[in-house]
Amino acid sequence: MMKQLSQRLFGPLTLILMGVNLVLGLWVVPPDKVQGELARLVYIHPSVAWVALYVSFGTAAISSALYLWKRTRSVVMDRVAHCAMEVSVVFIALTLITGSIWGRPAWGVWWAWDARLTSSAILGVLALGYLALRRANDETELRARRSAVFAVLVAINVPIIHFSVQWWKTLHQGATVFTSNRTLLIHGIQAWTLLISFIAFTMLFFWLLRYRYRLEVLRENLAGASLEEALSARRREGTQS
Amino acid sequence: MFFQSGGEDDVSDADAINELSPVAPPATKKRNRTRSIGVLVVLLLAIVALLSQGILHSLNYFETVDQVLAKRASFGTETMRLEGVVKSGSIVRTSTGASFYVTGSKGEVFVKSNGTPPQLFQDNIPVVVVGHFTTKTSMNFAGSQIMVKHTASYIEKNPNRVKAPNGSVR
Repeated sequence: MMKQLSQRLFGPLTLILMGVNLVLGLWVVPPDKVQGELARLVYIHPSVAWVALYVSFGTAAISSALYLWKRTRSVVMDRVAHCAMEVSVVFIALTLITGSIWGRPAWGVWWAWDARLTSSAILGVLALGYLALRRANDETELRARRSAVFAVLVAINVPIIHFSVQWWKTLHQGATVFTSNRTLLIHGIQAWTLLISFIAFTMLFFWLLRYRYRLEVLRENLAGASLEEALSARRREGTQS
Repeated sequence: MFFQSGGEDDVSDADAINELSPVAPPATKKRNRTRSIGVLVVLLLAIVALLSQGILHSLNYFETVDQVLAKRASFGTETMRLEGVVKSGSIVRTSTGASFYVTGSKGEVFVKSNGTPPQLFQDNIPVVVVGHFTTKTSMNFAGSQIMVKHTASYIEKNPNRVKAPNGSVR
């Protein structure tokens, strides 16, 4: 009962938080001292990147690792990894798009080949590669194993992206929240709105993941039903001849 | 087995019904392997292309004013990206762009740049200027593009407006 209720409330609660984030970010929070109105993108871009990099790609990598571990191996882990990676592609694309929209007026360029942006673009290519690898393999177990190994291996790019602004000199700004000396570089209502945006987009990911997972189960059931139907048809042919 | 029998006449209807389990198409494994290798090759090429554009050519995106001043001779007149903070009061807007000084902790470089500076270009903001020194020994830098490298700090523009004693927003 409680589980059903929480599942039903999850979607509306996500939408409400997204709305609160939008209202706070666009109208309530004052402009930034240096960036002015441009800083309002801080309530979208970092939280979308957070989901793309850590939440969705992380979910896909961890599910893949759990699939490879014999004790936790199951089709559920493979499905979660696949669905999380698909949602991850959307969030990586949104990260690059919102970053570019921010970069043009702030930096003066749409794109810069610095370490942070390049490694983020590589993450997008790797996520697409994962999906292509799945399509390339027909056999269920082989597909699950190969894609799981791939996801775990390419997850090394996540810490590279995270530390790129510390390891190399980049045009992209350094960390505002996850700083090396654990000092917040944003305060007051700006910080609270940023926190809400992180929670809202994280919830949006899990909401999308849930529906994508259900869609995948339905698709598999439909494929199974089609096979059964084809077999029945052949059986009927066999008995009629 | 169905295909090992002497002929169709040997197989009863009941056997035919029981032997309808799906048979994997031949050479599936080989096809899967070939496709997987194809995907990995395309992926590798895409990553190499991105790396060659980005990290391999500019692992460090710019040189700071201090680094350039320390090894000025090695940079000559080659095109580079110079990073420093715009010296307060030094900006002069021209018809073709802007001139200003970029500073580091050990000195400054005069920059004359063509093209419209970005929206955030202002005093005391870190910038990256694409360009080159005018001569091998000169400290004048001819820029073709200015990029603003804003900091990671966010500060409310008018904090008092949202912190008024009566709670009103003015």
